[in-house]
Amino acid sequence: MNNKKHPSVLKSLVGILDKVEKPSRYIGNEYNSVKKDAPFSVCLVFPDLYDVGMSHFGVKILYDIVNDLDFAKCERSYLPWPDMQKEMQNRSIPLYSYESYTPLDQFDVVGFTLQYEMSYTNVLRALRLANIPIRSAQRGEESPIIIAGGPCTFNPAPIEDFIDAFLIGDGEEGIVEMLEAIRSGNDRADKLRKLSNIEGVYVPSLNKQVRKRVVRNLKRSWAPTRQILPYTEIVHDRAVVEIMRGCTNGCRFCQAGMIYRPVRERSTGEILDISFETIKQTGYEELSLLSLSSADHSQIREIVSSLREIPYTSLSIPSTRANSLTVEIAKAVESVRKSGITIAPEAGTQRLRNVINKGISEEDILSAAKLAVDNGWRRIKLYFMIGLPTETDEDVRSIGNLIDRIKRLGFYDLSATIGVFVPKPHTPFQFESQIMPDEAVRKFKLLNWTNRFAKLNFTDPHKALIEGVLSRGGRELSYAIEEAEKRDLIFADWDEFFNAQRWMDLFEEYSVDIDHIMGKKRFKDEFPWDFIDSGISKGFLWAEYLKALRGDLTIDCRNGCTGCGVCPNFGIENVIYGVRE
Amino acid sequence: MKYLFFYKKYGLLRFLSNHETMRMIERILRRTGMNLKMTEGFHQRLKLSFGQALPTGIIDKAGLFLISTDEEIGEKFISQINSLSPHGFEVYRICKVSEKFELGRSIKGYVFSLIFLEEPKTSEDWKFEKYGKIWKTSFFVAFNSSSPRINAYGQYLTLRESVVFKETFNGESARCG
Repeated sequence: MNNKKHPSVLKSLVGILDKVEKPSRYIGNEYNSVKKDAPFSVCLVFPDLYDVGMSHFGVKILYDIVNDLDFAKCERSYLPWPDMQKEMQNRSIPLYSYESYTPLDQFDVVGFTLQYEMSYTNVLRALRLANIPIRSAQRGEESPIIIAGGPCTFNPAPIEDFIDAFLIGDGEEGIVEMLEAIRSGNDRADKLRKLSNIEGVYVPSLNKQVRKRVVRNLKRSWAPTRQILPYTEIVHDRAVVEIMRGCTNGCRFCQAGMIYRPVRERSTGEILDISFETIKQTGYEELSLLSLSSADHSQIREIVSSLREIPYTSLSIPSTRANSLTVEIAKAVESVRKSGITIAPEAGTQRLRNVINKGISEEDILSAAKLAVDNGWRRIKLYFMIGLPTETDEDVRSIGNLIDRIKRLGFYDLSATIGVFVPKPHTPFQFESQIMPDEAVRKFKLLNWTNRFAKLNFTDPHKALIEGVLSRGGRELSYAIEEAEKRDLIFADWDEFFNAQRWMDLFEEYSVDIDHIMGKKRFKDEFPWDFIDSGISKGFLWAEYLKALRGDLTIDCRNGCTGCGVCPNFGIENVIYGVRE
Repeated sequence: MKYLFFYKKYGLLRFLSNHETMRMIERILRRTGMNLKMTEGFHQRLKLSFGQALPTGIIDKAGLFLISTDEEIGEKFISQINSLSPHGFEVYRICKVSEKFELGRSIKGYVFSLIFLEEPKTSEDWKFEKYGKIWKTSFFVAFNSSSPRINAYGQYLTLRESVVFKETFNGESARCG
């Protein structure tokens, strides 16, 4: 593409920004955003509102990697809120990039990150606002190549008619190979052919079997330190350092724990170096240590105590497990000091916690909570799920009992979020069925008595069902998803836009077989995602499922190999710097 | 030592809210690595005070903030701070003020301008000047009275042109530099 600026977009933009809510989320031009000229252009789109998309770490990594290439430049875009969409459509302003205000259809490559299934309709809306044909088959030589990455690509089937090529797994190396392939291709068909030969890439018309991409370790140069500073207040407005990728706990419900294997820690020295550099480059007043389970990093004590030395910078840790270490770390973490401590017991009884292989005991939970009280916390947040395999009404009622016991330790403010379990692809529980909304509501009622002493938040069971259908369905869903966007069922994750009835009507009209998609499966049954190889064999997942039904535990693979197959399949190993205490 | 900073905010940055502007400035100052005074207490923040809040959408040529530091700040700090700022934010003057200086008590008001692309029709008692194809009017607004609204008079642009300081307060001159 040519590199001239697009004053037409910018000029019309100025005319409408006075009319929309929070205009600063649409102006781009943020500090640390990269404006460069290059012969080849990529626009990464987070298919949700700027406030959410700018909080996402994966885009930050790829943005810097692409912008460090000589031949390519990377820009960004997000899905505007409906008030802005309307103004843009009234003035025929196409979806544009935040660096050079270039319409998206003028890029060589447009990449979407698929972090949650509920954003699928947002992807289609973004394509429509960009005047890019929705279906891959309709795109011609003039259209950008549409690529996608992120955890949802582990079951690409429901949206594979809309995406030219998926990158499944770690993106750091694959993205560069993809751009080189697209750049060197003669025409669209040749580009797709070249893409289909890259490890981890799925081109729907060309690949039959795809193995995920994995990087051996997290290179220092991949850590984004010149992180872009938003003007508007976004969901997570802070500097981020990824301290570890993957998780060794082996919780059977957790998709991230399965698909991001093996674990790859960063060393303490590197984490400190990245942290200091990021704070210097951004001026952020808060630093977040990112990983699936930060208390599991083998050097976490040392890391936290060193980072506390950065002057006037507070620390935050998004997720930790309940054990004594959690409280110790929490003491050092400003965000927790302010907002209260969070523990995720997930289930109400030890039997059920063993089923899901959540490696914590009732004693762990209670002693962590007790320690929190002893250290002055009076607020606590708890997370539970209902609809887990083998769950009885007694298990559900026990959630209330556990909440009661924790509250009595001395908290004056206890809130508990009760979610509906969604059995995700590539987990041992992929063979399990999801409970239907009526049953979820019945189970919620078993907990009503807990309302007397705790704030209970029940997540919407219909939303969980729709999420389940979108995550477990196959290619046949594409027409329903396409129609959902036309009916304005976008921003489905936002309560103010979510309309369960309209989704259910749509599924009915398009004969979506909910019972089949959400039902129990056996080992021999085929899943739409069987052709995606996460490195974990289906046999291991089935064996884990059977162990779950028996209530047998599987150890943390830091303490011994559990035989999932990822390490030998890829010729790699867990990267761990020491023994966790 | 106390320093008063004068800044301009223009282009797309006029769409920043007052709160967003303050946060942007705080982070710019943190990026300079300057040793700034912090507020007391558990959650420490930069000790910073600002001129009168400006509604979203107005071009600001008279932005002000005041900092306390134990470092000596010279002219070359202007280019350093601007190199660490996004396009559309520009510090153009820094002056050392006395320890007793307080922003809120030394500003008399601001001069605002409205730019029209068509001949203005308003009941206000304003004098308009015509420059080529645009009409412009300027007027004084006392400190802490409300700034003109961006969609109120059919104007194309609204600018805060300049600050007017009081002659003295507490026996101190508010003039600097």
